[in-house]
Amino acid sequence: MSQTVFLGMSGGVDSALSAALIIEQGYELRAIYMRNWSRDLPGFRCSWADDLADAERVAVTLGVPLEVWDCEREYKETVVDYLVDSYARGYTPNPDVMCNQTVKFGTFAQRAFAEGADLVATGHYARTRAEGGRTRLLRAQDEHKDQTYFLWRVGEEVLSRTLFPVGDIRDKAEVRRMCAERGLGIERKPDSDGICFVGEVGIRSFLLDSLERRAGEVVEWETGRVLGQHEGAFLFTLGQRKGLDLGGGPKRYVVRTDVEENRVYVSADHDCPELLCRTLELEDVRWIAGEAPEPGDYLVRCRHTGELMDARVSPQEPDARHDAPWASLEFERERRRVAPGQSVVVYDGLRCLGGGFVSKEGQRG
Amino acid sequence: MESYLDYAAATPMAPEVAEAMLPYLGERFWNPSAPYALARSAKADLEDARVRLAHALGARADNLVITAGATEANNLALASSQGAILTDSIEHESVLACARSREHRILGVQADGRLRAEDVASALDASVGLVSLELANGEVGAIQPVREVSRAVCDERARRLREGEGRPIWLHVDASQAAGLLSVNVSSLGADLLTLSAAKIYGPKQVGLLWAADGVVLRPLVLGGGQEGGVRSGTENVAGAVAFACALELAQKLRKEEAARLSGLRNRLQVRLLGRFPWAWVAGPSKDKWRLPNLLHVSFPLLEARRLVILLERRGVSVGTGSACAASRMRVSHVLAALGVPEEVAMGSLRITLGRPSTQEELDFAAEALEDAVSGEMARLGLTEARMAAESARLRREGGAR
Repeated sequence: MSQTVFLGMSGGVDSALSAALIIEQGYELRAIYMRNWSRDLPGFRCSWADDLADAERVAVTLGVPLEVWDCEREYKETVVDYLVDSYARGYTPNPDVMCNQTVKFGTFAQRAFAEGADLVATGHYARTRAEGGRTRLLRAQDEHKDQTYFLWRVGEEVLSRTLFPVGDIRDKAEVRRMCAERGLGIERKPDSDGICFVGEVGIRSFLLDSLERRAGEVVEWETGRVLGQHEGAFLFTLGQRKGLDLGGGPKRYVVRTDVEENRVYVSADHDCPELLCRTLELEDVRWIAGEAPEPGDYLVRCRHTGELMDARVSPQEPDARHDAPWASLEFERERRRVAPGQSVVVYDGLRCLGGGFVSKEGQRG
Repeated sequence: MESYLDYAAATPMAPEVAEAMLPYLGERFWNPSAPYALARSAKADLEDARVRLAHALGARADNLVITAGATEANNLALASSQGAILTDSIEHESVLACARSREHRILGVQADGRLRAEDVASALDASVGLVSLELANGEVGAIQPVREVSRAVCDERARRLREGEGRPIWLHVDASQAAGLLSVNVSSLGADLLTLSAAKIYGPKQVGLLWAADGVVLRPLVLGGGQEGGVRSGTENVAGAVAFACALELAQKLRKEEAARLSGLRNRLQVRLLGRFPWAWVAGPSKDKWRLPNLLHVSFPLLEARRLVILLERRGVSVGTGSACAASRMRVSHVLAALGVPEEVAMGSLRITLGRPSTQEELDFAAEALEDAVSGEMARLGLTEARMAAESARLRREGGAR
């Protein structure tokens, strides 16, 4: 009897090809569309209806059922509210990281296993490899598409029962070609990017809908001079240049935000020491294997498909200042600072070990 | 071969209509409110179109407001009244949404979609300012007893007069889905307000009208330059009005012949499908007299209409799953819910609507594609004819269906 795979199908190209490959590999496929939270704007057609229709077309072509699972509540609570709350506290979060942890590899996987799945699958660009009874998470064959940056909070337990059918494919063009070859009729659909539920309105208007506007000062970092006003320090992120509205003058960069004082500090100096660091502190770290790696030299990535940089990583136990495991990280030379709340992911060669969130403290030159 | 069977959602513009409209998109582009002779001639064409539209309704031209479609006309109609709105549960969203925004009462309908005039009569009291109903429902095709409802409204009006109650009461009829195939004469319907749409009768989209009897005071929803008697500001859509007049005249001219032809085609399709799938459900009134002649609402219990639509589109057959609004939100339509159709049946519902270009050959082609799609889905799900018959019977018993 063949194994049953529950696949999360989004209506996109990658999960469509995943569905076809799972069937070709002889598994029994159950395709699931996860309906996430979306803002019901009066007068706007709900955006997910089109994605669902695309997923449905692929399912009909493949002759498999497509079910719709309502994940709205989990998504709202663990992804949307988390996003808003993080910004309100002066962090710049990666909602996709939370979505993978709590929805796709949380609620979805749990329900799938409870309903008899042997394996779950998604259209992520990532690979797993069995190694001496353990499961390792590896970067995808296509380094430009690799999505392990968003998967660092997913545990080994669920990864050991996960398939990533497109993770071994050379590149996206090949994925599209393979879709066309199979007559899935979706090969021309553009890639989606950005935060799905924020959609076209953009993060700024999304946050302004959820959080109170609060007038505050834009202050020059070096001189303490007030250069202008803003509508809430939570709207700004480290290194940001656009949206400062200082009425001309040189380009200025956000070097620090203080949500308690509601102040945004800027500098015209792109190499301002406040924008650079040699050490970073990661909080709330997770290690996929369950235990921390030995301290040592690893590769780290500070944003999705960003440069892989050499760094010395020292995992730490919880202490007076940290109620969860944390890690300190030291680069070989000075680097651009990373906004607090962003994920930093640690790799040993191709293998993704885990990661943490950049803390507000501990970034030093 | 291709087969389009969703004429209740959209109709192609008739060639005559497009031809009549075309000059107003180009050479006759003038603003009818401008003072020079050329513009006056555009104004004259607009007023001529209004007279022709009115004539088709048996009405006076100065009682017509040309709107951007039926939704706007319905909004305008409901805004004209004070007091409560009395309507039924299977109306179009544009009526239900307006009703819900104020004092309202919503009556249930019978299992075949027809409203009982007695229910309207007994719900009419001093608080009601307007009764709104469709002449024919666009999803299951039920033709409503408008004249009986009109009599009930007249009785209530007479009672108010006798008892010295000042509040007026009006009957609004949304005839959008009916205009191509039924009479829309305002006096024989006994309506005080009537909505029509050009888009459903082989005219342009975003063109509609509201007729209002003398005495009804319309309240403008769009303020501005005071066009359309101050009720609907904005430069008049001369092209749309001319096309609409042409489309309505044509529709009324072809009406009887088309209604007979399409109900023949529809009935043959229904017989064929029910012969092949005797367990399928057909919604709407069973008597032809009470059902739109071009509409067949058929449900395949336990199957998913969304998949059938995809399988059919592969074969070049376009059908809807009910009201377009409900389908895009993937909810069971409010009409089927109001009719008490169980969810397992409602999910498998297709609305097949025929139109002027439909032919027997095209319907045979569509029927074959539909038979293949349904049997293909049954095979995929391992559902046998016997099982379908048993499940359908069970659902009928449980749902208390007709």
